[in-house]
Amino acid sequence: MTTELLRVADLSVRYGRQQVVHQVGFGLAAGKALALIGESGSGKSTIAKAVLGLLPGHARATGRIELNGTELLALPERHFRQLRGRTIGFVPQDPQNALNPVRSIGSQAHEAARLLGPGDSAAERQAILDIFARVGLAEPERIYRAYPHELSGGMLQRVLIGLAVLPRPALIVADEPTSALDVTIQKHILDLLDDLRGSLGLGLLLITHDLAIAAERAEDVVVLKDGAVQEAGTSSAIFRAPRSAYARQLQADVPALNPDRFRITGQTADAGVTAIRFRSVSRTFHADGRAIRAVDDVSFEVAAGSTHALVGESGSGKTTLARLLLGLDSPDAGAIEVDGQPVQGRSREALRALRRDLQLVYQNPFTSLDPTWTVRGIIREPLDRYGIGTRREREERLHEALTAVGLAESLLDRRPGKLSGGQRQRVAIARALVLQPKILVLDEPTSALDVTVQAGIVEVLCDLQRRLGLTYLFVSHDLALVRQFADTVTVLRHGRVVEQGPVEGVFLRPAEAYSRALLSAVPRPIPDTVPAAECSPASV
Amino acid sequence: MKARSYLGFLLRRLVQALVVVVLSYTATFLIINVLPGDPITNMLLDPDNGFSQAEIAPIIAYYGLDRPVPEQLWNSFSRFVTGDLGISLRSNLPVAGLVLEALPSTLVLASSALTVALLVAFALAYGSQNLPPRWGQGILRSIPAVSLAVPTFIIGIFLIQLFAFQLGLFRITSPDSAAATFFAALALGLPVSAQIAEVLITNLDHEARQDYFAVARSRGLSRGALFRRHQLKSSSLPVVTMIALAVGELLGGSLITEAIFGRKGIGSLVQSAAAAQDFPVLLAVVALAAVVFVAVNLLADLVYPLLDPRLRRRRGTAGDAA
Repeated sequence: MTTELLRVADLSVRYGRQQVVHQVGFGLAAGKALALIGESGSGKSTIAKAVLGLLPGHARATGRIELNGTELLALPERHFRQLRGRTIGFVPQDPQNALNPVRSIGSQAHEAARLLGPGDSAAERQAILDIFARVGLAEPERIYRAYPHELSGGMLQRVLIGLAVLPRPALIVADEPTSALDVTIQKHILDLLDDLRGSLGLGLLLITHDLAIAAERAEDVVVLKDGAVQEAGTSSAIFRAPRSAYARQLQADVPALNPDRFRITGQTADAGVTAIRFRSVSRTFHADGRAIRAVDDVSFEVAAGSTHALVGESGSGKTTLARLLLGLDSPDAGAIEVDGQPVQGRSREALRALRRDLQLVYQNPFTSLDPTWTVRGIIREPLDRYGIGTRREREERLHEALTAVGLAESLLDRRPGKLSGGQRQRVAIARALVLQPKILVLDEPTSALDVTVQAGIVEVLCDLQRRLGLTYLFVSHDLALVRQFADTVTVLRHGRVVEQGPVEGVFLRPAEAYSRALLSAVPRPIPDTVPAAECSPASV
Repeated sequence: MKARSYLGFLLRRLVQALVVVVLSYTATFLIINVLPGDPITNMLLDPDNGFSQAEIAPIIAYYGLDRPVPEQLWNSFSRFVTGDLGISLRSNLPVAGLVLEALPSTLVLASSALTVALLVAFALAYGSQNLPPRWGQGILRSIPAVSLAVPTFIIGIFLIQLFAFQLGLFRITSPDSAAATFFAALALGLPVSAQIAEVLITNLDHEARQDYFAVARSRGLSRGALFRRHQLKSSSLPVVTMIALAVGELLGGSLITEAIFGRKGIGSLVQSAAAAQDFPVLLAVVALAAVVFVAVNLLADLVYPLLDPRLRRRRGTAGDAA
């Protein structure tokens, strides 16, 4: 019924001697969506760049990429430039960095509008305002005049999608278009792309690491690993019955599909002992003469040995609560207790003693480790700072922590630059563990990582909790992961508690509209398959 | 309220600028005047200069050299503020007149040197992004480092040798002719252009690696449009800083360049004043240089928010759209 819009055949790409894409082939019809799925390093972004003709100069591509029958790889830059924007649109991964910060949105939008042909500036402006309204931006005039830093990530991504579809291309390449956005916004952006695809008859090449998104949003899926196709087919076929081992693993690692994978049936939770207690805590920030209530009358308790999740979108106050707990900031009102002792009003020494029991694992392992230090130095630093034990004892603790997070000894003398994202986050966890703390604050510990790597990290955390009886305060915006991992949850919005209680209760019967909205935003690929039976729940 | 906070920012910066001027004036005054053997007395008492006792007394009284040092400083400074820069010891002429006489020549030289520096720097920077990478970019990118390594006076002597003596394009006997001024500006501006080009190229490269550059490319922009629209503006921010710093270099460099090209300007005035320990002239020129330097840096600070909208909010010159 449809002709092929994009055909990739036998595509190989090498950077110097290193081949990153191996004979990949797939086809995409007009009005359809195809997902390229794989983890970082799988070559999916390289394929996207090849289609857009944006490979760096030292890359060598062979094979064929045909768009409406035109061979693209052989096309000189001069001719390829005519296709960009006009025939192939691009929606980038991180909207915060995808627009020039020193120029207004409007001036950059005119670059896209000009591709429609010679028109006067007023007509271009009208076309821009129309497309802004079309992609669901409430005040097109204001957006037109605004600068990128004045808009939220979700608004910027709408702008970028608008700019991509404005010159009426036939194909949109979307490179992880939602991975930098909150869940609720994710859903809106994906809905928008679906809607535009339908109404404008666009072909969508969707690049993602999330199998759930791929299965929910694309007709066809190509699963990539190390630059080679592992499996290709319709998304429902791959989703219901993955043939390759890698696709099966991907499926098992997606939190949304396996709500019970990491459930520890509450046996370690030491009922009765309260590790963390927040009582009516408030914190107000003042900026530009305005008061912002970052945290507003928040109370919760965490039992020792259990995991409590703080859930909400950006700006909901999660991170402020974590900082308050660590004594990095003080509340305006209310009290915070750790093991029955107040956190605030301590001397420097007492605060130092508290932090020994209370360690933080930071969100982004790519920036939280000093690149000039070795793994050994990073993990041992807390021991040196607190002057714990003899040299030999420190060395022993170091090796214990390393084993606990599943890192090889051979990595000890490497620097962070030579480690993968998952390895880096394991180093960060090991650094937190060497002091043998009672509580770990996990600030979105996996949000910068791929799904399969995330599953490995969560596995390590569950294992540590079982063996050491650790208490976790888990800050996250990923509800599917929270459901897998946490015992109790507090849902936050604009600094206020929306709902709290045991995870099962909140997830099965969300009482508040906001919780329901958050939950409905979790991708649900095919409602009638709940493959929970395939993976055994974590046993003791 | 926005306007008021911008005014507050402006006033704060102005006060800071004034403090810098006062401090540099004071430091120069103290260094020249209070260190053992103040130059005025030395000169007046030097029998070679043949001042009679009758001549010495009014001069001593004029400079208040019989007064305590803080009072001397205060007198000198309050005269400076009213435009009385004192009397040159060497020529017995008012310093203000000498400076005003020398200033135009130096201003012409320094501003043409700055123009040359900017033109060369931006041309190098444009080439570094848009020439074929194999041969063009590599050569262009090595030029700044090479010309930084060569001192101003070598460049000046080389230019005179080649263009005045060999090619006869200008005559050093008429140093204020347009051609001679151009080559003097070239000698003074080239090292400055190298510094600006280095920073500019680094920043352009940085911009070209940003996500938004790739996204703009995917919008089908040509190399030239990418350069103009997406690299130049944000890369120019550090150039503004460089220009502000270069003003100091141009003022200092004009001393050497004026000597080589035989121009009469602030540089030659300072040179002869230093040789003759003509203290009022030195003090006036240092104070003038401080005023110029501070004013240019103040101007640079006021330009930043125009180039980068993100700085506007922080300093409160403009809020987010209502």
